[in-house]
Amino acid sequence: MTEEKAYRRLESSKELQQISFQHMLEGHHASEEGRLAWVTSGFPVEIPVAMDVGVVYPEQYGAVVGANKVGPMVCGFAEDIGYSSELCSYARASIGSILKPSESPLEGLPKPQALLACNNICGSVLKWYDAVSELTEAPVFLLDTPALDVEQQPHHIEYVRHGIDNLIEFLSTTLGSTLTDERLIETAKLSSEAITLWQKSLKACKAKPTPLNCADRFLTMAPVVSSRGKQYCVDFYKTLYEEVESRVKEGIGAIRDEKVRLLWDNIPPWFQIFRFFNGMAQRGVAFPADTYTHAWSGAVEADDPYTSVATVYSNSYLNKGLEAKADKMEHLIKDYDLDGFIMFSVRSCKRYSLGQMVTREIVTERTGVPGTIIEGDMVDSRLFNEAQIGTRVDALLEMFV
Amino acid sequence: MASGKLGIGVDVGSTTTKAVLIDHTGSILASHLMNTGAAAEAAALKCIDEICKMAKITPNDATTIGTGYGRALVESAFKRVTEITCHSVGVHHLNPDIRLLIDVGGQDSKVIRIGPKGRPEDFEINDKCSAGTGRFLEVMARVLEVTMDELGPLALKSDSPCDISSTCTVFAESEVIGRIGAGDAPHDIAAGIHRSMASKIATLSKRVGVVQPIGVTGGVAQNPAFKHYISRQLDSELWVPDIPQLTGALGAAVLALKDPS
Repeated sequence: MTEEKAYRRLESSKELQQISFQHMLEGHHASEEGRLAWVTSGFPVEIPVAMDVGVVYPEQYGAVVGANKVGPMVCGFAEDIGYSSELCSYARASIGSILKPSESPLEGLPKPQALLACNNICGSVLKWYDAVSELTEAPVFLLDTPALDVEQQPHHIEYVRHGIDNLIEFLSTTLGSTLTDERLIETAKLSSEAITLWQKSLKACKAKPTPLNCADRFLTMAPVVSSRGKQYCVDFYKTLYEEVESRVKEGIGAIRDEKVRLLWDNIPPWFQIFRFFNGMAQRGVAFPADTYTHAWSGAVEADDPYTSVATVYSNSYLNKGLEAKADKMEHLIKDYDLDGFIMFSVRSCKRYSLGQMVTREIVTERTGVPGTIIEGDMVDSRLFNEAQIGTRVDALLEMFV
Repeated sequence: MASGKLGIGVDVGSTTTKAVLIDHTGSILASHLMNTGAAAEAAALKCIDEICKMAKITPNDATTIGTGYGRALVESAFKRVTEITCHSVGVHHLNPDIRLLIDVGGQDSKVIRIGPKGRPEDFEINDKCSAGTGRFLEVMARVLEVTMDELGPLALKSDSPCDISSTCTVFAESEVIGRIGAGDAPHDIAAGIHRSMASKIATLSKRVGVVQPIGVTGGVAQNPAFKHYISRQLDSELWVPDIPQLTGALGAAVLALKDPS
């Protein structure tokens, strides 16, 4: 008798390979034509996309390096020339791949002609993109989005809006691209459509059993990160939502025997993504929600896309204070009816991991559910101690018995 | 030969392996403790063998639960439970009043808040660092050329402990060597070492929330200087069981006994 797997594979995930291939192909094509930008994950990509600038994502590349289990080697190339092992492993992976493309997955990302960084996800991106600029000779543009500890004020929006104007000018002078309102509105519409569909799939996970588990979301989030503003991205999320909806209707869960529902906080350990989450699935533990994939939630409004871009991208999850993080976790736990939470303290992502200890206390106090913190890294598997993590996770699960 | 249902708990820790056999009333019939060494599986077998010999039973006569870092290696165990849960249950079995448990083992130190039914409500474990663990004291004893049994009493002779600022075992070792070179008295250095370690564990305790009464288990609970400094840091009296290293194994045995299977 063959043993049934504890998790169910998504049919729509089969399309992902095709989409990621198309995305890479577009990147290479844009690079050959001298119009490729490397962008940070929280960059208002609607602007470059509407200006026909190709975009690729070093952070997503970092995830590929991690998933291929070559993080220590590729990060090591950057460390060999003096970069600290304390530095962001996405940064080390991208710098390492520029130094030794032939030894890196996909032979690295295609050569950029511009580097677009937005500090709404962290402050490291500026120095990281400066380092990439030194190696590739592509100029850097920084979109500054001051951190929001309070509700966004009009002067704040105006400041970021000014940055958007500078971005358009930068892309015009650097790459000779032009922007029309019509094209931006069209791109913003497609971007919003994809994000709205993505949000619907995420919200469907309130169902019991949850139709998507953590690993499903971490994989299917790829297009909403890298291909916002493209029709094929919208098409993919339509297909995904149809599958999710049908799973909910038929009561089919992402895992076969859902007993415990947990929240995941932070970027996943890409090198362990199946081993960890499927291992948990075998024990009846599902993750109907996480803070990471919920971060791609701001839809750009087409009627005033310039101001909307300034608002949406300033309000990203990591650009806000601890209070906002605690609120988000509290709401996810309550709305998705979760039994507890696991916070992954990512050694090289300080911005995401800072304040987790106090957040854990606040969230437990507000929701009454227990949580634990496990330590490791998203790409650098040298920092992942399975025995220590196992004890923390097992002890948390024993609290539900 | 013992009668009624019997429970065996085996705690395979990074430094020592412990086994406890209890009868249906929860009384300890036999226990054994030995160094884990490189062959953790063999240590677990040997421990079970020893307690079975003492009680004149065979391992099949009892229900076994494995715990500790090497819990997966306890072959005869029908179930594995973490040391967090087992320590809570073990302490609760011995002293049901305890609400906060500080367990300092060879490789890790943990603080567990225990609920009224003996189950963990919250816990913290030291981060990826051996400062604040038994290993820290072992390294320091070696540097000061005293045995582990001598280290605590030596520290208690001090009136003015040295400041040991490092929170890393390796760097603290260099710091201690520097202190010896500077002519500081060994008892002041030893006191500084214990104070530094107690401070780290007190911080861990405060993160969980200090609730009374407090129990201390693990091999380090036998060290009088550690007890002295942690008691001062937390401004609390501390309860220590007779054989503090056995608490995890005892908890596993209690759980084995309770299991309906």
